Amino acid sequence: MEERRYRAVSGAPIALRRRQHSASCWELAVRGPRLQLRSLSAVTSAVWLAAYGLFVLSESSMVLSAAIFITLIGLIVYLHFVKIDQESLLVIGSLGIQVTSSYASGKESTTFIEMSQVKDVVINEAIHMQKVIYYLCILLQDPQDPQGVSEVVPLFQSSQPRLDCLMEVYKSCQEILEQRKTAPQSSGIK
Amino acid sequence: MVCAQVETSPRRRWQKVLYERQPFPDNYVDQRFLEELRKNIHARQYQYWAVVFESGAVAQQLCSVCVFVVTWWYMDAGMLSPQRLFGAGLVSSLLGYILFNVIDAGVGRQESGRTWWADLKSTLVFIAFTYGFSPVLKTLTESISTDTIYAMSAFMLLGHLIFFDYGANAAIVSSTLSLNMAIFASVCLASRLPRSLHAFVMVTFAMQIFALWPMLQKKLKAQTPRCYVAVTMLFALAALVGLMTISSVGAVLFALLLLCISCLCPYCLIRLQLFKDNIHGPWDEAEIKEDLSRFLM
Amino acid sequence: MAAGGPARRAHNVCMVSDFFYPNMGGVESHIYQLSQCLIERGHKVLVVTHAYGTRKGIRYLTNGLKVYYLPLKVMYNQSTATTLFHSLPLLRYIFVRERVTIVHAHSSFSAMAHDALFHAKTMGLRTVFTDHSLFGFADVSSVLTNKLLTVSLCDTNHIICVSYTSKENTVLRAALDPQIVSVIPNAVDPTDFTPDPSRRDDSITTIVVVSRLVYRKGIDLLSGIIPELCQKYPDLHFLVGGEGPKRIVLEEVRERYQLHDRVRLLGALEHQDVRNVLVQGHIFLNTSLTEAFCMAIVEAASCGLQVVSTRVGGIPEVLPENLILLCEPSVKSLCDGLEKAIAQLRSGTLPSPETVHNKVKTFYTWRNVAERTEKVYERVADEVVLSMDERLNRLISHCGPVTGYIFALFAVLNFLFLVFLRWMTPDSIIDVAIDATGPKGAWTKQYFLGKKGRVKEEILNS
Repeated sequence: MEERRYRAVSGAPIALRRRQHSASCWELAVRGPRLQLRSLSAVTSAVWLAAYGLFVLSESSMVLSAAIFITLIGLIVYLHFVKIDQESLLVIGSLGIQVTSSYASGKESTTFIEMSQVKDVVINEAIHMQKVIYYLCILLQDPQDPQGVSEVVPLFQSSQPRLDCLMEVYKSCQEILEQRKTAPQSSGIK
Repeated sequence: MVCAQVETSPRRRWQKVLYERQPFPDNYVDQRFLEELRKNIHARQYQYWAVVFESGAVAQQLCSVCVFVVTWWYMDAGMLSPQRLFGAGLVSSLLGYILFNVIDAGVGRQESGRTWWADLKSTLVFIAFTYGFSPVLKTLTESISTDTIYAMSAFMLLGHLIFFDYGANAAIVSSTLSLNMAIFASVCLASRLPRSLHAFVMVTFAMQIFALWPMLQKKLKAQTPRCYVAVTMLFALAALVGLMTISSVGAVLFALLLLCISCLCPYCLIRLQLFKDNIHGPWDEAEIKEDLSRFLM
Repeated sequence: MAAGGPARRAHNVCMVSDFFYPNMGGVESHIYQLSQCLIERGHKVLVVTHAYGTRKGIRYLTNGLKVYYLPLKVMYNQSTATTLFHSLPLLRYIFVRERVTIVHAHSSFSAMAHDALFHAKTMGLRTVFTDHSLFGFADVSSVLTNKLLTVSLCDTNHIICVSYTSKENTVLRAALDPQIVSVIPNAVDPTDFTPDPSRRDDSITTIVVVSRLVYRKGIDLLSGIIPELCQKYPDLHFLVGGEGPKRIVLEEVRERYQLHDRVRLLGALEHQDVRNVLVQGHIFLNTSLTEAFCMAIVEAASCGLQVVSTRVGGIPEVLPENLILLCEPSVKSLCDGLEKAIAQLRSGTLPSPETVHNKVKTFYTWRNVAERTEKVYERVADEVVLSMDERLNRLISHCGPVTGYIFALFAVLNFLFLVFLRWMTPDSIIDVAIDATGPKGAWTKQYFLGKKGRVKEEILNS
């Protein structure tokens, strides 16, 4: 188990935790920065100042209560649906890949991809929001066409680590994917 | 294949060809650079008095507009009765018509192929229709406020001046548009007059001064230039005098405008020719000088 | 060509233009071929263009040529709509991550090219511009375009034109110092255009015309030539390839003179079919009213045809007199020229297609173009980049009072925008891209190219 610090594409600090459970099983988790108190208070103060300004103009106290309501609901929605604390990847050689996203409110969403469907794990570059970024993705096998790719599953979309972090994850994944080439599985295709 | 003679002062002369490797660097500037550049080969030389003579056409139209507005003013003030205007217009139209036919000894009439009977017919048709529709014309713009009418008439008369065919071959020229704008201005102004007879007379007068008078002028200019100059000056004088009886400031301004158009603008045109800088050379798109539609006929 | 002497450096060149593959044309193939030859000489080359339909993002072409298809809106005729500032974030990101040293923009019709030059100068990179076309001076649109070109080129390090006439035209349009303009002609791939005399019918004489059917290419002249010559020579055939609004004129002429069996209109031709059409003829006719270089006549000469053309623009400089017959742009003169060519053909005094091809093959090659372009890069890399105040001075003094001040203001705003972007996303945060070409290029022939251009990135040090 080791944890190393890296940076995301936006410059925020992130941490990569790698854990090798066995020769054919790696767990890789990228943890984004936690919700900062100062940004929370900045947003809340901004909303409340705006509401107060509106109150002064409109003389209606509904505005103030609406502001409090909005701030609370907004915070809950943000923590539960938007803010991802940790994204992890569990690669098990003979079984498959499990991708988990943990939200700040404690919710977890998981996707599992069988190893027979996985063609390869690659680092690709794309134009995203006025930037050109490297991202890690899983290529899924097209059942009809052995050379084709049916779908691309991008990983670590909210934490967006930079190339050095992605290379570590890539190396670990490739170690395991190489194994299934050398030792052909009963259920797997190359 | 690089030419072997790459020395500091190549003896070979530079040639304007791309298919040979020459011992000069790619950004070499020979003394023959831009030798085929020509400037202002289509520039025209203008003579001052010739330009002044031609500017008479613009001055004419300005005076026509001025006379028209002055006439309307008199009708509006009640100092001119519609019957007298109609009578005067009729007499002068008849005189003008005779002059028009006599002046080039019938050549123009032969070329256009119209008989005097056809001219008479179209005149009668026009007068009948205008007389019949004059109540409609009068009430057409009655509900619009007077200020708007004045603004619209001014705008229309300005448009008439801009689009008029002064003899230049430009894209902006459209004689139908200019005549329509003038007639519309007359309809606008006529609606401010007391009765529908006034409207009828106004529109007829507008037709005479904006459609028939320029035709006569063109004929005069082509046939007897001296007469044309005299007539132009008389007309301008009449317009000035008429305007003076209404407003002296207006008359002064109008006189200044006429002087500018006739004397100042030609001078400016000739001076500005010195700054002309047209560039011609082998890079110009070739012009096809012949009419190629003959192959399709 | 030997891989050069001691002073040669490898440059990181970014080609920018609106016009690139999958669009086919002169500028597009020029950029592609030049990039391939520069990669062969060891430079790192990438291309930036706008997205074509669903083709967005990053693709790799042959030999690792990386192409960025940027998602910018296309306005008219494949040229992007520009506000001059909105492309700065993306372009700056690309220039930083690819460590670009020279920005080479193509074609004055391309708004993205001018944008890229503007931003590159703000960032302190060297700039080169290649002009592919001739322009007039007289009408309103020309005056405005020339003014914009003056602004764009007044502080560009070097300019390349494709012919001497084009150099004179560009120098006059943008009021440039002729010493910073180089003439490097276009080239043709001779292996694509080889002669094949067996494909043509020697019992008749075929005249081939391949061009877009628009007014600029003189199709009206062609509509006059066809009936005149077809009446004089009963065994003369015309083969016309290409599409455009003037096709209707040719069809009318064909209809009027009942020449359906002697005039064939082939419609739009794919790039790879052009050679097959050219080898079916004996004579190639070019009736353009204006041309900077005219690739078509070189392609035709490479296929062994005798060329008859109008004497306009840069055409007299392209081929020697024994391979081309030049005429004035009128029907009579072109007919005379064609008659002369037919007479030469009939009497057998024309050289054989193979001879012509072998001669033309030595005239223009892409490797030579790349070598000369590399000299331009060497020269440019040694030049000093203008600092901000010098650049503003140059703009104000060179471009006229009104335009100079406006663009100086834009330059300052651009610089402030760049400072803001550098604060938001510092250069140290931007990942350096892995080179596909150039001295440290990862692309070698062993690499497996995945479907749709996705490449499995090998880790360099593992």
